[in-house]
Parts: sequence; structure tokens; C-alpha cells
Amino acid sequence: MVDYQYIYDYYSNAPHLIQWVWWVSAILATGIVVLAICLKFIRSSLRRKSNEAAKFKTEYEALLIEYLYSGDESGKLTEPQKLIVSKIKDSIKTGFKRKLIVSVLYNLRNEVSGEMSDSIKTFYYETGLIHFAFERLKSKKWNIIAKGIGELRCFGIDEASHAIAPFINHPKSEVRSETHLYMVNLFLFEGLSFLDDLKVSLSEWIQIQLLETLQKFDNQEICDIRPWLNSKNDSVVLFALKLAQIYNQFEVKETLMDLLSHDNKEVRIKTIDVLAHLYGIEAKEMLKANFNELSLEEQISFFKLLEKLVAPDDEPFIEAYLFHKNFEIQLLALKILKEINFDKYIGLTKSSNDNKSLAMVKAVKVL
Amino acid sequence: MDTSSVKIILQILHYLFFGYAFASILSYIILSFISSKETIEYIKKRSFVNYKDILSSTISPSITIIAPAYNESLNIVENVRSLLSNHYVNYNVVIVNDGSKDDSLERLIKAYDLEKVHYIVNEKIATKPLRAGIFKSKNPAFEKLMVVDKENGGKADALNMGLNISTSKYVACIDVDCLLLEDALQKMIKPFLEVTDSKVIAAGGVIRIANSCEIRGGKLIDVNLPKNVLVQSQILEYLRAFLLGRMAWSRLNGLLVISGAFGIFDKEIAIAVGGYDTNTVGEDMEIIVRMRRYMEEKGEKYRVSYIPDPLCWTEAPDSYKVFISQRNRWTRGTIETLRKHRKIGFNPKYGWFGLVSYPYWLIFERLAPIFEAIGLIYFIILIVLQEVRWDFAISFFLLAYLFSVVFSIIALYSEELTFHQYKKKGTGFKLVLLSAIEPFVLHPFVLYAAIRGNYDYYFNKKKKWGNMVRKGLVNN
Repeated sequence: MVDYQYIYDYYSNAPHLIQWVWWVSAILATGIVVLAICLKFIRSSLRRKSNEAAKFKTEYEALLIEYLYSGDESGKLTEPQKLIVSKIKDSIKTGFKRKLIVSVLYNLRNEVSGEMSDSIKTFYYETGLIHFAFERLKSKKWNIIAKGIGELRCFGIDEASHAIAPFINHPKSEVRSETHLYMVNLFLFEGLSFLDDLKVSLSEWIQIQLLETLQKFDNQEICDIRPWLNSKNDSVVLFALKLAQIYNQFEVKETLMDLLSHDNKEVRIKTIDVLAHLYGIEAKEMLKANFNELSLEEQISFFKLLEKLVAPDDEPFIEAYLFHKNFEIQLLALKILKEINFDKYIGLTKSSNDNKSLAMVKAVKVL
Repeated sequence: MDTSSVKIILQILHYLFFGYAFASILSYIILSFISSKETIEYIKKRSFVNYKDILSSTISPSITIIAPAYNESLNIVENVRSLLSNHYVNYNVVIVNDGSKDDSLERLIKAYDLEKVHYIVNEKIATKPLRAGIFKSKNPAFEKLMVVDKENGGKADALNMGLNISTSKYVACIDVDCLLLEDALQKMIKPFLEVTDSKVIAAGGVIRIANSCEIRGGKLIDVNLPKNVLVQSQILEYLRAFLLGRMAWSRLNGLLVISGAFGIFDKEIAIAVGGYDTNTVGEDMEIIVRMRRYMEEKGEKYRVSYIPDPLCWTEAPDSYKVFISQRNRWTRGTIETLRKHRKIGFNPKYGWFGLVSYPYWLIFERLAPIFEAIGLIYFIILIVLQEVRWDFAISFFLLAYLFSVVFSIIALYSEELTFHQYKKKGTGFKLVLLSAIEPFVLHPFVLYAAIRGNYDYYFNKKKKWGNMVRKGLVNN
């Protein structure tokens, strides 16, 4: 009792600053105890949830496989299928179980094809899961919208396109990406029409995903890419250039020639690469004539083009760059000369005065 | 000087210490809030990412992994195998044997069927010359591997050789003894491809401690909490630094350092600034500061990104001697970098970088051990003079201690709610307990090492890297 009194007296007589420090310390100490207990609770809850998820996943997998194998050729739901649908309908009322069912369904959809894949889609409609995905599109939270779009894409729900189209220029890149992927996954090259209305930049990350998606399909008949090559959005032009390269769009060479004088350097460089790929011999003379006006990166790209499209009459031009100060240009010039006139190349080993260049000439010789 | 003047000076000193401690605590609180916001956003964003497409795409950008090696003969073959098992499609590995005196090269030649090749090196950055030359494998299974044997020039010089050799758009500079997870490259390359409104010049990842973890065939099988208290404390320290500190600075685009153990750089910018500085022991921090400075001076919008996923696992020192040597070097590296680029500090020309990032590092990282040491000395003097107000002293010590424990526990929360690597039962309790004892078992040594680092920087200029003895992860 005396001790408590002593503490109380000490506290009452202490300066305000010290009183304040003790208060904060007491709050922190309590906070530590509470945080430690909560941490234990969180860890246990995470473990429990993970066990539950594994348990339910196995259960739903079995049910869904049973559903798939209970179907008949009529395409209508059989009695056992109806029973499973009604069971699942009860489960999807809770968000946790709904998420699990969607993930199991999605995994199954990736593993099956044809009728079974259609059967999964029917299941998605019948259980009402589709309504939850549509509801998500109305959310104010960007991540919920993106999840909704992603889900509708995974299950191939093409009637959602009108509801999803307004998100093409959404301020959040994740929503935009999901929208663009939805369009291309469901409507292939036709889906690329979103590029006409795209006001924001198309990141390289999404460009790769779109191109990979397009290449997965059997139908590789590409639409006219010229409007996108002439787009005011530079990222769309760059994407169209990649399309031209991957799908060997020889018919757009004329448009590509125009792009050689585009305002954006990145576009000009990529155009030279694509022209090299498409055997754009027309570009060679034009670029040769303007070589000194090109940026260093464009000059390097041009030499790469020349490496592919070189002709004997290019020799005088190449000779002028054999001792260029840029390593890459010099290396390419030497390689090209070695290819078209080996005797002259051998002569360089005798005529070169500069030690560094001589070493380079010798090194290229043994390559 | 009369007594009243002394009293005034002491009063100022007291307020200075108080102000510093208060500002320091306040900065931690602000950083915690920012990091929690950033972490939540990152986790939300991560749930939409599909890494599969980037893996198989032939148009995904090329990356060269540059791994300098010096006397790593013990584990080099296994470590290289781990680097070669990455899932990313468009990458190659350049091992730079930096004049090793052991049989590292011979072991690599034998294990990977290497042969000497003719390769023209574009010497954009001056380095020590090649020794035995450049080797590639005859076996197509190891076509991604290139081994460069050069004269010893230190880690920075070896990395510069890698930069010269690489033909990729991006370079991943890593420590050869680090364990890189198979999906590390595609996760790290994402910010470079994703950001459209500015140029990402570098991206750093979290470094996790692999001591006691189960590793087989260059792969992380099981994560365990080590028994050694020093290593355990470093785990907690890394969680605080990476999940709270760097996460927050990443959101503010104010990161000044990317760990030398694992970072990806835009090669063009790294070369434009002249590569790694061979005259510093803190080359990892120095190159980031230089790259940022370069971009600021060019007036281009840029970012240094940070990926909090546990992608790179490394061995932490398990003895105080090695630990102190490592921290001594880190301190010297920080001093060297901040001194070299002092022009940036408080300079509005460098915007946020000059007015916030640099001053923060200077005041709360560089000067923190100095303030602490002076404070301790002053406290001892007061004890000797019997001038200590023990009620003040005890209450403030307790407050500082409790705050540090709370801060550590918040870092644990961040870990549990995001990456949840230490799943085993009982580990949570151990980590909370560790939060309580870490200020006694780790912090005094961190302080000592930092003071030694300061001393060595000013009075022992010959001191370079120091000894970093490693036991090797594959033996765990």
C-alpha cells in the first residue's frame, strides 16, 4: 500500500513532461501486450483459414468434377447437376467460399476444353456467380472492378462487353489492363478496336500480355493495323509496330516509311527494326541519305538493318564508318564489310594505324 | 565562461537531443503510415498480375544477371545452378571471377563444360583487364551462362566488367552467394515495363535471411527461424528496414539505396553515369545516388522502384566479429556517398531528392550513431558528476525502448499480413520476444560498428571491405 502511495505521490509531484512520458509509456506497454495477443490471433486465424481453404477446395473440386461428368449430350442440366448447382448456390452466399469456388472453376476451365468448358460456363450462369461479377463492376473501389472484369474474362462472358467498355481509359492502370485483356481474350483481333479510343499510354507490360494472348488463338487473321500506325497515341503506334513485326505485315510498308519521320524517336527506332524484319529495302536508301541527321540510336538501328539487307553497292557507305567512334556502329560496319568483301577486310589489318581499331579488326576477323 | 553561460549551453544541448529524438521518432511514425498505405496498394495490385505471359514472351526485355565472385570456390557451382534455374525466358548469366585465388574458375569449367570464346568487349567503363578470358559452355543446356575471368579489382570493378559485357537492356546485379527465387526476374522487371509516366532507372528487392532455411538444389524449400540470436535479430532488423522503411521511401520516390545483393538497373543509365564507383565500399548506394543525380540534372522524370516480395535470400553474419565488420563497411559506404554528393543536400535544384531524401539520410542515418554516442558520453559524464535526474532518465529510456518494441511489432504485422514467411507454430511468439530483446542484443553492436566505421573512415583510410566470412547456404 505504501508503495502505491509512493508511486502516486511521485507521479503527482512530477513535472508535466514526465507525467506525459509515463502516460505514453503506459499506453505503449499496453499496446505491446494487445498487439502481441492480436498477432497470435492473426497467425492462428491465417493458419486456420489456409486449412479451411484447402479443405473446401478439395470438397468443391470433387463436386465440380462430379458436375462435369454428370452431364449428357442434350446440353441441359441433368438431375445430379441440378443438385450440385443448388448445393453450390448455398455456398456462394459467403465471400470466402465464393472466391474459392471461382478459383476452382477457373482452374478447371483451364484444364478442359469443348463441351466441358461450355458446361463450366453454364454452371457459372446457373449458380448466379455471374451476377456477383456484374455487381463488382458497379463498385467504387478500383480493385473490386478489376476483379470483376478479370472474372468475366476468365469465364468468357462476352455479353459483359458493354458494361466493361467504359473502363478502357480508367485512371487506374490495373482496371485498364483487365479491360484490354478482356477485349482481346473474348474478341481477338476485333477486340483490339479499343485502341481507337485509347487516350492513355499502353504500358509495355500490357502490350506483352496482349500479344501473348493473341498468339494463343488458332485464328491468326489480323485486321488492318494502319489506323493504329497512324494513331496520335505513341504507345498505340509502338504496339502496332510490334503487331506488324510479329504478323509480318508487308502490306503496311508504305505507312512504315512515313513513320521514319515520326516525332517520337522511339517510334522511329522501332520502325527501322520492323523494316529490317520486313525486308524494307526501300528504307535503306532513304536512311542512308539522311544518315547524319539521325540520332545515334537510329544510326545503330540502321546498321542493324544494313546487316540484313546489305548489297555490294553499299560498300563505299560502309567504308566511311569502319573507324566510327561508336563501338556498335564500328563493330557492325566491320562485320558487314567482312561479309561482302573479305579481301578488303583483310587489307584493313595492314592499313589501320590506330591500335584500338586494329585490335577490333583482328577480333572481328575471328568471330 | 561563467556558470550561467554553461547552463545555457547545456540547456541548448538538452533541447537539441530532445528535438533530435522527437524528430527521429516522428519520422518513424510517418514512414510506418506511408509504408502501410503502400503495402496495401501493392498487395491489391499484385492480385491482378499475370506473370505467365511475360515468362513465355519472346518480346520480353532481355536481362543479364551479373554476379561477381571472389574466392567462392566452395559453393560457386551450386550457386550458378540456382541462377540458371530462373523461369524468365530472356535472360543470361555473367559470372565475373574477380581474380579469385582459389579454383573457382576450374570448378566452373569442369561443372559447366566451359570453353574459351572470342568475345569483343565494349569497354564503356574502364576496368581491370581480363585474365584467362571469357568462357561459354559447350553444353546447350547452359547456353545462358558466360564466365568472365579478370584481374582482381574489387566488387565494383567486377560489376563494371559485367556492364561492359552485357548486351541486354537491363542488368540484375547480385551477390553470387544469394539465392534468387525462380520468379524473381519477372517480378523485378515489372516496374520497368509498367510505368508509363516516368522512366524507371532501377528497382530493388527485399533481402531475406536464409540462415537455417532448408535449401535443396538451389531452391528454397522451407523457411525456418534460426536459433542464433544475432541472426534472429537481423531478421527483425531487415523486416523493419525493408517492409517499413524502404516501402515508404519507395512510395515517396526517395530511395537512395538498393541492396547490392539484388537490384535491377536500366543499363543505359548505369553506363551513362560511369558504372559503379571502384573507390568506395558503398558502391550499391553510390550508384543509385549518382543515377538519381544524373536524371535530376537532365530534368527527366524518373523512379527508383522497390519490390517487397521475398525474392532474394542471403546468408547473414552469425558472429559478432563478422557482423561488426559488415556494418562498419556499410557506415563507411554511407559516409563516402553522402560526402561525395554533398552538393545535392538541401539543394532545391534537386527537388524532393535534395530537400527530403538526402537530408533524411544525412540526419537520421548518417548522424544517428554520432548523436547517440555523444548522448551516451554526456550521460556518463552526468552520472560521474551526479547530475542525472533519474526520474527523467528512466522515463525517457523506457519510452524510447517501448517505442522501438512497438515499431518492431508493427514490422511483424506487416510481414504476417503480406508475405507470411515464418508460418511455423511458435515462431510468432519468438519474434515478439525478439522485439523485446533486440535493442539489447543487436543495437549496441550496430552502434559500435557505426562508430568504428566513422573512426576508420576518418583515421584509417587503408581499410577497405573487411572480412565477410560465409559458410554457404547450400550447407544449411
